[in-house]
Amino acid sequence: MAACNDPIPETTLLDYWARDLNDAESERLEEHLFACGDCSERLNQLAAIGSGLTSLVRQGRLSGIVSRALLNRLQRDGVHVRMYSLLPGETVACAVFPGDDLVVTALRADFSGVDAVTLSVTGAAGTSIAQFDDVPLPGPGGEVFYVTPAAVVHEMPSTRLHLTLASAGGSSVELGRYVLEHSASEKSPG
Amino acid sequence: MRTALDCSDGDLARAIGARDTAAETELYRRFAPRVRWYGLRHLRDEDAARDLVQQVMLLVIEKLRAGLVRDADQVASFILGVSRTIAMDVKRLERRRETIRDTFMVAEIAAAPSGHDALDADHLERCLARLAVRERMVVLLTFYGDKNAGEVGQELGVKEGNVRVIRHRAIERLRTCMTSGAGV
Repeated sequence: MAACNDPIPETTLLDYWARDLNDAESERLEEHLFACGDCSERLNQLAAIGSGLTSLVRQGRLSGIVSRALLNRLQRDGVHVRMYSLLPGETVACAVFPGDDLVVTALRADFSGVDAVTLSVTGAAGTSIAQFDDVPLPGPGGEVFYVTPAAVVHEMPSTRLHLTLASAGGSSVELGRYVLEHSASEKSPG
Repeated sequence: MRTALDCSDGDLARAIGARDTAAETELYRRFAPRVRWYGLRHLRDEDAARDLVQQVMLLVIEKLRAGLVRDADQVASFILGVSRTIAMDVKRLERRRETIRDTFMVAEIAAAPSGHDALDADHLERCLARLAVRERMVVLLTFYGDKNAGEVGQELGVKEGNVRVIRHRAIERLRTCMTSGAGV
């Protein structure tokens, strides 16, 4: 097979996959892709990454920050989400139960005038567990969704987790502190 | 000696008309992956994409055997046309199914299990975790959430153009991580 003498730029392949091209552009591109083994293979690799990510998420192998739309999609796909919602200053008792896939902590605060935040998670004696910088916010009424696979939480001992939200950027302002009182899951005998 | 592997697409199409089974195998090897990504792109479902490959390639080979493809040199275009027609039928059927499902079933029962995953899932998981928060959110909303740049931008409060830049950078980083063995 002859090598492609007019390779499609990577950004265009991504735009095509994400439906950012109009119908006419997509159809023109498809004509090229079907006739060109090289470009088609590159798109295949992109598709494999997409399939791999989808598969991970559906297995509940997802951690970090997610958006509301992603959370809705997860629930629509049958992923079992255990959600804890906290206001600034609140402490919530939490645990995982059989059948849970993901544990989501929804953090609320007054985000007026804030575009992005930093979330710090610390354990006993202030040990840093995770930090998420530059978390985007869609608007003042938004929430920050912190997600952990239930399988990971299931293995955790009883502990107290401190979560702190602060505005991202130069002059960081604290927006809220939250506490999760985690009770270890009962291990089955044997 | 010239084998099916060296042939142009047009030569393969003509050879299939002459009942050359090696040419059929080579045509399938060449085009099945293309029909598969077409199916994934338009149907967003692994199983549906796999079914599309079977239906399209079967029909194409039957037409070629029967000499019903007018211009053998345009076989790629012909396969694309067949893929479009069948994918459209599948979508129409799926819309009807969705209406029935929404009426009679709860979402949890309707959820399909995940399909085949060609990448090393553990490695991909580690590579995903190494991305910056914005990069991770953008790739997940794009590939899993099935959202275009405008929709992702709205969800994250980021401009559409920036989403495209972040998306491109994130994919580059994922690819590099996956091929370099970083994150292992």
